[in-house]
Amino acid sequence: MSTLKAVYAHLDSLVDAIAGLKRQGLKAGDMAVMAPLPRHEIEELLYEGEPSPVRWFTMCGAIFGGASGFTLCALTQVNWPMIIPAGKPLVSIPCFIIITFECTVLWASFLTLAGLIVNCRLPGFSLPKQVQDPRFSNDHFGIVVDGLEGERLSKARTVLAEAGAVEVTDG
Amino acid sequence: MGRQLTYGVVTKDVLRPLFKPSTFYMAGIGVVLLMLAIGGYCWYQQLTWGLGVAGYTPPVFWGVYITTFVFWIGIGHAGTLISAILFLFRSRWRTGVYRAAEAMTVFAVMTAALFPAIHVGRAWNAYWLFPYPNQRMLWQNFKSPLMWDVFAVSTYFTVSTIFFYVGLIPDLAAVRDKTKGMIHTLYRALAIGWHGTDRQWRHYMAAYGFFAAFATPLVLSVHSVVSWDFAMADTAGWHSTLFPPYFVAGAIFSGCAMVITLLLPLSIFFKLEDYIGVWHFEHLAKMCLLTGSILTYAYATEHFIAWYSDNPYEWDIFVYRATGDYWWVFATMVFCNCLAPLVWWKKSIRQNYFWLFTISIFVNIGMWFERYNIIASALAHQFDPNAWTYYRPTYIEMGILIGSFGWFLIWFLLFVKVMPSVAIAEVKEQVRPPLRDLEAAAK
Repeated sequence: MSTLKAVYAHLDSLVDAIAGLKRQGLKAGDMAVMAPLPRHEIEELLYEGEPSPVRWFTMCGAIFGGASGFTLCALTQVNWPMIIPAGKPLVSIPCFIIITFECTVLWASFLTLAGLIVNCRLPGFSLPKQVQDPRFSNDHFGIVVDGLEGERLSKARTVLAEAGAVEVTDG
Repeated sequence: MGRQLTYGVVTKDVLRPLFKPSTFYMAGIGVVLLMLAIGGYCWYQQLTWGLGVAGYTPPVFWGVYITTFVFWIGIGHAGTLISAILFLFRSRWRTGVYRAAEAMTVFAVMTAALFPAIHVGRAWNAYWLFPYPNQRMLWQNFKSPLMWDVFAVSTYFTVSTIFFYVGLIPDLAAVRDKTKGMIHTLYRALAIGWHGTDRQWRHYMAAYGFFAAFATPLVLSVHSVVSWDFAMADTAGWHSTLFPPYFVAGAIFSGCAMVITLLLPLSIFFKLEDYIGVWHFEHLAKMCLLTGSILTYAYATEHFIAWYSDNPYEWDIFVYRATGDYWWVFATMVFCNCLAPLVWWKKSIRQNYFWLFTISIFVNIGMWFERYNIIASALAHQFDPNAWTYYRPTYIEMGILIGSFGWFLIWFLLFVKVMPSVAIAEVKEQVRPPLRDLEAAAK
């Protein structure tokens, strides 16, 4: 099996190459597409509007944060009850809303960060060396296709080159 | 943007100012270190001799430290507004300025966070502010606005820092790929293996949207909570439902002015005018005009309500602020916050760098005096005339105030030399992408 790497100077060439590879039956997981900026064309072609699972992390964080914030306030008040005049409640929802809100935001942020790290597979120091090309953070786009052999490999090479690659290499 | 920008040009332009400090920059660092040393010396004196060296006079126990705390928290708000709220609104002018504004937020909140520790005197006990399990099962009173403030400020700092760092990751990778040796190794670690793959960008954009969505309510909530430190008390001149919107508008007003103050020299000295130019400063000036108008309206409303309420104590404090011992504080506040920014209604002045910078300095001064006006005068002139006094800050307090500017500026100056001050990846989104078909047509 061989690894193919193609470098593009133009966005439309890259998009053509992705579309060509998809016509060959390759999916998002079969290739890595590098870009110096987020481009909706790439995401739409590869993921077709499927939302990122980061949102589930965010929701779990928000629920945990909100619940823990309110619980902290309520349980500590009940644990050491203060005598409050005029029948004011020990567990006062309006007073505790603020800390509940802050904890919701805080934990939702923590878990969103965790979701980002897990889903992006960061730290990504062990990514293939073909992916780690300094041009991809500057002004070039790239595609790395892994795990092809035989006729599929040569067809993919042709698709990558014909789309307008400035460089196609076998790793 | 004047010249035709490409992805490569953007990377080159933004990374150009990094790492090579000029003599002028080093002179700036020297001045800022001096300010920091003044602050450090004064705080050392206070730690040695106790809070008696501050100008606290019963019943005034909140003075310059709380004023400066509120001032720096307020400064942070514009950065979050620009980076989060304007991101959600897809405002194009934010792209050039948001990175530096966000850095300003983080450093301003770091500065503000020093002041509760300075204010309590025994700074080594400042951790008592936070709830933690302890042997006697003692907990703070979570119904107190001061506890809300601890949660609000620490959440704000944490979320702003995460948002700032996540925004930096793709640009740290760009720095990594343009450097060698030890610096490369450092940025390689900071960029945590970012390579701009489709998987990375997909989850990154989703997460970034969520961070922006969380930071947005924080812009409105943090200064509302800070305002409740005052408004929940039964002190005349503080006990007002107007405070939250009034404080939030003031925070954004002062923060936008501080963004102008910091970014104008940055843009000129680092030759970044293609990315941070007149267009951006004009928008910031318009933000100041909007929030400054809300603030002026709030000043008028609180005076009207004090009169209309027929509460003699409430009305007396407002008369005292305008005509009593603190009249000069009130006059400075009104001139700097209500009158000086009015010149920005004229387009040519909004586009003039000298006037932009000068008025932004006025606003910074005015907004510090606004907090001083609220805090000092109300405490010095409470219900019992026998307790009336006049609070004068000592040189210790003013030294710590100067030191806070040194602390803030040292972080900002280091930031502009080691991190991209303009968001490279986001600016590239504003640039026309390289298209083969377009180039062929041009040929």
